[in-house]
Amino acid sequence: MTLFLEPRTVAEAVACFRDHPEARCMSGGATLVAMMNAGLADPPAVVSLRRIAELVGIAPAADGWTKIGGMTPHRVTAAETRLAGGQAIVRLAAGRIANPPVRNMGTIGGSISFSDPAADYPAALVAADAEIEVVGSGGGRRIAAQDFFVDWYTTALEPGEIVVAVHLPPAPRAAAAYEKLVKTEGDMGIATVAAVVEMDRGACSDLRVAVGACGPHPVRLRESESDLIGGRLDADAVARLASRLAEALDPVDDVRASSDYRRKVVPRMVARAIATARARAEGEQ
Amino acid sequence: MRGDEGMTTVALRINGVEHSVAADGRRTLLEVLRDELGLTGAKRGCNQGVCGACTVLLDGRPVRACLSLAAACAGHEITTVEGLTEGNELTPVQQAFVEHGAVQCGFCTPGMVLTATALLKENPKPNVAEVRTALSGNLCRCSGYRKIVDAVVAAGGAR
Repeated sequence: MTLFLEPRTVAEAVACFRDHPEARCMSGGATLVAMMNAGLADPPAVVSLRRIAELVGIAPAADGWTKIGGMTPHRVTAAETRLAGGQAIVRLAAGRIANPPVRNMGTIGGSISFSDPAADYPAALVAADAEIEVVGSGGGRRIAAQDFFVDWYTTALEPGEIVVAVHLPPAPRAAAAYEKLVKTEGDMGIATVAAVVEMDRGACSDLRVAVGACGPHPVRLRESESDLIGGRLDADAVARLASRLAEALDPVDDVRASSDYRRKVVPRMVARAIATARARAEGEQ
Repeated sequence: MRGDEGMTTVALRINGVEHSVAADGRRTLLEVLRDELGLTGAKRGCNQGVCGACTVLLDGRPVRACLSLAAACAGHEITTVEGLTEGNELTPVQQAFVEHGAVQCGFCTPGMVLTATALLKENPKPNVAEVRTALSGNLCRCSGYRKIVDAVVAAGGAR
């Protein structure tokens, strides 16, 4: 028997986990129910967040940050044109998740809580410098995306904590590009690259590049990125960053591609993502 | 709505009719449709949300019945292929599938028809690329996709 609980507020949801410590949290169901169907999860209680209205929707704040509620479906995030500039990286990634029916069901909070490294949001949120807002019995806290994705299917969430929102810092003069290499459209990525680039009169003034689907969590090299700030993003400099990123990956052999193939293809994807984001950034100036 | 034993009475509105079903919290909409209500148009394929054979419409949008817990569907309008028309009438999408020979074994057809129906409501004259994108989460393993895409484009009246 599985109990189905529908709290109306975040506080009620937190209380559900106090009363049922073995309960599993469900937002859209695209991940949890698939695991239950596969026999990988058999929770005594499911805590559905669907009736918590405050968790749905995208809201720009006056200070330029944008808040994406944890229960916001991928379809909504993929169509949100207010996710512009560097924040567009999250919109672009959302539009590449699986297929339309899954984008109708799945939510950003549910997806990142599962933390499948081959999913689309992890690299995008790391490149966006996003902060993940979580709430548990001990109160709320915000976790930098880079610290949130800890390991294969493992996040920084403590037991009983739920993702309530994702916050994106302002990057109005930057532009974004998302590269996803797939065997077939709708599949998980063989590799993904999320790039955010800002240019100022021909010189790079901001650069953030994260690689996904090539190890337990997204890979981003802030120091190597900073070597390119102030420069002109010439091919050699981009190639140096790309090859350092490839070296830092920990890819596996799986049904989609070999580890060697992933290391080989990622530098090209990085170069392409940076070039596309740069062109968009300069086009918008 | 929930008892202490985990059994829940769920009120589901399916094809315009209210149904009250007793469902364990982990029971999926697909199980309720097929096993409880005899609505076998939605098929159980992968049971993982990948193949699209179980697609139904929730408030007019295609979703996976296999990934939807029945209890989480209360309060929504559910449409299955059985609810598209009355009697033996066919919808324009269904008629186009017949005319284009877009059905072979038929296993994927209900999901294809529902996904296409939702697409045409949102975008009445989709082009080939838009149809392919919309149907990208519905797998067909026999007839191939060409005739299915042709049928949906024709149903929309665009070329």
